[in-house]
Amino acid sequence: MSSNKKESTSEPRVGVYICHCGGNISDHVDVEQVAENIRKIPGVVVSHTNTFMCSDPGQELIQEDIKSGKINRVVVASCAPSLHELTFRNAIKRADMNPYLYDHANIREQDSWVHHGDPATAKATTLVAAAVAKTKRLEPLDPIRVDARNHVIVIGGGMAGLRAALDLSSRGIAVSLIEKSPFLGGQAANLDKLVPTEASAGDLIKQLAQAAVEDPNIQISTCSQIVGFEGYVGNFKVTVQTHPPDADTRRQIIRGITSDKSQVGKMIPFVGYFPSAVPTSEQTRIIDTGVIVFATGFKTYTPRQGEFGFGDFPEVITLPMFIRHMAQAAANDKHLSFNGKKIRRVAMIHCVGSRQIPGIHEADENDYMNEYCSRTCCSATLRAAMEIRENFPKTQVLDFYRDIRTYGRGQEDYYDRASESNVLFFRYEPEDSPLVEKNSSGDFPLKISVKDTLTFGEEIEADVDLIILSVGMEPNPITGLVDMMKLPVGSDRFLQEVHPKLRPVELANTGILLAGTCQAPMDISETCNAAQAAAVKASALLGKGYVELDPFVAGVDLAACSGTGACVDVCPVDAVKLKPVKINGEEVERAEVNPAICTGCGVCVAECPHNAIDVKGWTLKQYEDMVDAIVAA
Amino acid sequence: MSRELHFDTLVVGGGIAGLQTALDLADQNYQVAVIEKDATIGGKMIRLSKVFPTLDCASCITTPKMAASAHHENITLFTYCNLKSLDRDSPESVTATVTQKPRYVDPDKCIGCRQCEYGCPVYVPDEEQGNFNLRKAVHIPFSNAIPQIAVLDMENCSLCGKCARVCPTDAIDYFEQPEDFIIHAKTAVLATGFELTPIDQKPEYNGGKVQNLITSMEMERLLAPHGPYMRVIRPSDGKEPDSIAYVQCAGSRDKTLNVPYCSRVCCMYAIKQAMLLSGALPLADITIYYMDIRAFGKGYEQFYQNAKAMGIEFVKGKIAKIEQADNQYVSLRYEAQEDGGRVVEREHDLVVLSLGMVPGWTPQGVCQVSCDTDRFIKSSMPQIAPTVTDMEGVFVAGVAAGPKDIVDTIAEAGAAAMEASKYMTALGKQKAA
Amino acid sequence: MSDKKKQADKEAMKILRQQRKQSIDRVRGAIKSQNKDIKSIKDALKDGGKTVPEITAATKMPSSRVMVFVATLKKYGMVAEGPKDGDYFKYELIDA
Ligand SMILES: Cc1cc2nc3c(=O)[nH]c(=O)nc-3n(C[C@H](O)[C@H](O)[C@H](O)COP(=O)(O)OP(=O)(O)OC[C@H]3O[C@@H](n4cnc5c(N)ncnc54)[C@H](O)[C@@H]3O)c2cc1C
Ligand SMILES: Cc1cc2nc3c(=O)[nH]c(=O)nc-3n(C[C@H](O)[C@H](O)[C@H](O)COP(=O)(O)OP(=O)(O)OC[C@H]3O[C@@H](n4cnc5c(N)ncnc54)[C@H](O)[C@@H]3O)c2cc1C
Ligand code: SF4
Repeated sequence: MSSNKKESTSEPRVGVYICHCGGNISDHVDVEQVAENIRKIPGVVVSHTNTFMCSDPGQELIQEDIKSGKINRVVVASCAPSLHELTFRNAIKRADMNPYLYDHANIREQDSWVHHGDPATAKATTLVAAAVAKTKRLEPLDPIRVDARNHVIVIGGGMAGLRAALDLSSRGIAVSLIEKSPFLGGQAANLDKLVPTEASAGDLIKQLAQAAVEDPNIQISTCSQIVGFEGYVGNFKVTVQTHPPDADTRRQIIRGITSDKSQVGKMIPFVGYFPSAVPTSEQTRIIDTGVIVFATGFKTYTPRQGEFGFGDFPEVITLPMFIRHMAQAAANDKHLSFNGKKIRRVAMIHCVGSRQIPGIHEADENDYMNEYCSRTCCSATLRAAMEIRENFPKTQVLDFYRDIRTYGRGQEDYYDRASESNVLFFRYEPEDSPLVEKNSSGDFPLKISVKDTLTFGEEIEADVDLIILSVGMEPNPITGLVDMMKLPVGSDRFLQEVHPKLRPVELANTGILLAGTCQAPMDISETCNAAQAAAVKASALLGKGYVELDPFVAGVDLAACSGTGACVDVCPVDAVKLKPVKINGEEVERAEVNPAICTGCGVCVAECPHNAIDVKGWTLKQYEDMVDAIVAA
Repeated sequence: MSRELHFDTLVVGGGIAGLQTALDLADQNYQVAVIEKDATIGGKMIRLSKVFPTLDCASCITTPKMAASAHHENITLFTYCNLKSLDRDSPESVTATVTQKPRYVDPDKCIGCRQCEYGCPVYVPDEEQGNFNLRKAVHIPFSNAIPQIAVLDMENCSLCGKCARVCPTDAIDYFEQPEDFIIHAKTAVLATGFELTPIDQKPEYNGGKVQNLITSMEMERLLAPHGPYMRVIRPSDGKEPDSIAYVQCAGSRDKTLNVPYCSRVCCMYAIKQAMLLSGALPLADITIYYMDIRAFGKGYEQFYQNAKAMGIEFVKGKIAKIEQADNQYVSLRYEAQEDGGRVVEREHDLVVLSLGMVPGWTPQGVCQVSCDTDRFIKSSMPQIAPTVTDMEGVFVAGVAAGPKDIVDTIAEAGAAAMEASKYMTALGKQKAA
Repeated sequence: MSDKKKQADKEAMKILRQQRKQSIDRVRGAIKSQNKDIKSIKDALKDGGKTVPEITAATKMPSSRVMVFVATLKKYGMVAEGPKDGDYFKYELIDA
């Protein structure tokens, strides 16, 4: 990188560029006035405004001023730096100036979106003036380059994990696939025929899982979990613990399958693909990796005791339970049967454990509520409804829904076919959810009633033999990993991407990516798309053999450091160590920072008794000047 | 002889799907060509106001991707180009014939100063602004277009020579002719996006005849920071609307229109626009007439519930008829499901049709790739590799493979880039062997 | 540019204009009627700002056409949006 010597030594000539952001900023901040005010500050040689600074003409404005030698420092005042800091840094780099001789003032989120009129303009002036003051003190910096290991750990062996592992491997990247159960395929293993292709879930799983097993570049560890984590992008150290399958609810089945060697390499319906014998003893190892992909998936919502009669009546079951039952049900009867009983009429209820509304629905014991839509249940429910009608013409199906969300390619057909096969639809409002009761008389075990908005609010009551609850998705509980790796989680408890459009498969933790339903409900197509998008990001990240990190890390002034070790004690990530050095022939200890680990938090700066440590790009002196500028404004 | 160029991947379509695919390939060091039929890249997204569910302004998140593609050393953009043919001639090579449409402006000379535009005496309806205002015969498409190069619309040019006289770099060339060139690549990605269903498709809605009955894309323009009026007013007479309505599924889920499928974004964009409107016009009543609200994406249901809480009225009912009422009002007739099923007639200042999505391009006659019954490009592995088509080494991304929102489009673009890079890695391995 | 080249360009332009005569005539017609409409709108605004319905009344043009031109004049900096009058905004001439 060419960090021009001239830049740091010559007198700062600051160019200030103020964005209208369409009207987002200029509707509330008098940007021309701000530009005018800033122009008066000594050292500011250019003070411009532009409708969209991030657009090409906007960026060119800066580049021309740099190239013509007018300016050697840049301040952009626009939206939050999280959106565009990189855009402008790259623009500056392309104009052959050190990209760190630039500061960003946020006058949108922190100003125009929250203040109006003169106070907004005054605040913008202050924020920009502070940025100018800081900019004058900036030094050219170079990004930190660290070698990256051409290896990825994929956590979770469902559709997302398998898809990502296969793709990464075909790009020549070594993969360790870590799956906590003895099986591959994840939740899809609990499905039969799939929306929208009618493909068998087992076949799809087998196709991917077999390819992964046969791939010498993919190392699969089942019955494994991550118990330790350290390092940074390109160089993570992950501790994986493998242990014999423990006693979970499916112990019996699992023991049966896993002790039978002939099951290896088979897809076992409603269990999963069995890739290899299970370990017999506990084992721990450390894997060095460049990138981590999360594909930990979801679990289905378990209705509360008594929710629509669940747990109270054996005739109330969930959709996954029903899918499993249907897969084994004989199709040669006129009636569906369940638990040996003839089912004359079945009711299906949508949105159980999804789309919950505060004030209407009850929160769970942890005070959580699933306010989101689970996206896949409508189609899966209609598929099941249609299948009942088409295979068991004498079994009636009643469908209780809030909105039918057959949004995807091929999904609306299921709605049409369900309607054509005489599934009866009833629409309810969340505040008037269906009521399930025991039938005191007659020969139907249950009774369901609802205020049906399709018939203009009529109270409908029906006797039924079976009730199927379309339960939604919840993220798999991975709090251990979340805490260990300090991962961002949304209010919906799914892992939270940096930005749904700008960086949809990345977590804020550089080098940790997201694939599939651990991010949000998705169907298999969407899961695979997301997994491939994560794989392509990993491939781009690792392709160069190194990664570049921002240089905003602590640096030690050896002349001032006396080796007190105060910084070492406070550093939360162990990035500072005391190292022996020879000064004037004397062996002493001095602080040394590992820039790849340092997060630039600045705790050490506050602690150092000699002001010998400072964070580059955010030095104490820069802060002082900013404060002075704010006070002066 | 036509110019022949060589790349690793040819991306057809410079919307957000094509750009994201190009970026994900270029970041892996593949050489990418993007061809775009319009004079600017950015597709529909750059023309939107703000985007759900984050309500970021569309420009703020599209321009960085546009600029990143334009400046990427591994990406070459070809705007204002038509794809004439795309064939696979061997496992290693696809060949495309591309026509550069004449801009009548030399792209190497034009500096985007707009002097020509100010000088030109001809006003023409501006299709970029829903035809709500006029542009000049020579113009730059819009302020954040990339590239910032003027285009001359020869159909509406009087050849008066004014633009040539005022151009400081002598960039105007009235004699330019279309020119074909050839692109050779190893793989191709189709990201040709969508168009809205025609506004006059449903006779009972009288689209195109009734004043103040507009399309959802036109409403995006009214709400956009650089819209035709820079505020929301009625196109017929400039009245600030007191009541605005949305007619959902106005071109989708309707077998009679040959669009039986759900267009997947209309519920959410209607809710988004309703929210933006209630910000811009706090006193206006906003009503959404719908069949089902399909807010299925991450954070979308919460977005919908917020809109309800903000006082936006959701009325379940299918609009049967739309007509002009007095004083340029628009009258809607429907059966009110939540109100005893009686037929209701209501008038609004401004009515928006949430039109459906149809493919932006048909491969027929240009390329061998198959389409599905919905006429979007068919995936041959719709569940485990949705971007793979039945043409070897040719992939599909974004709305070209069926309606979807930006979030899903961007994920799919990454997936297409993955498939293309896998294909090329395999080619490389075969060669080495 | 040499005189000879200039001359050749002029000739070529002549031929091109000949070829495009039909569309040029159509466009010239459009320019004329546009300019007339623009002038009558500007005239209507000479004695102070007006709303679109007021301009419509003064010019006898369809109100939607007035709206299009007002929006355009505003975009090209000839007209500015003024205060609101009831449900309508007034539009004013710039530097008239
Ligand atoms: C009732 C129902 C019906 C459905 N029907 C359809 C349909 O018809 N068509 C369709 O396309 N989609 C359908 N889906 C959606 C489909 O199931 C999902 O899209 C898909 O299974 C998601 O895959 P995934 O890999 O993201 O997650 P999962 O399948 O959940 O896989 C996650 C994997 O990660 C493992 N894991 C979790 N935590 C850890 C950890 N800490 N360490 C290691 N491993 C871990 C899990 O054991 C699991 O194997 C349906 C869903 C439901 C609930
Ligand atoms: C009114 C409206 C509002 C919306 N609001 C939102 C929102 O708020 N949030 C959200 O997430 N989504 C929204 N969407 C959806 C969003 O617009 C799409 O998801 C997105 O634009 C799809 O991108 P794309 O690249 O696939 O297609 P497009 O944007 O259509 O891009 C396709 C590109 O390919 C070009 N092209 C087509 N054919 C050819 C050819 N033969 N040769 C060369 N180039 C070609 C086109 O010119 C175009 O530039 C909205 C849609 C509409 C209609
Ligand atoms: S997909 Fe359907 S059933 Fe599932 S939560 Fe969403 S609306 Fe309810």
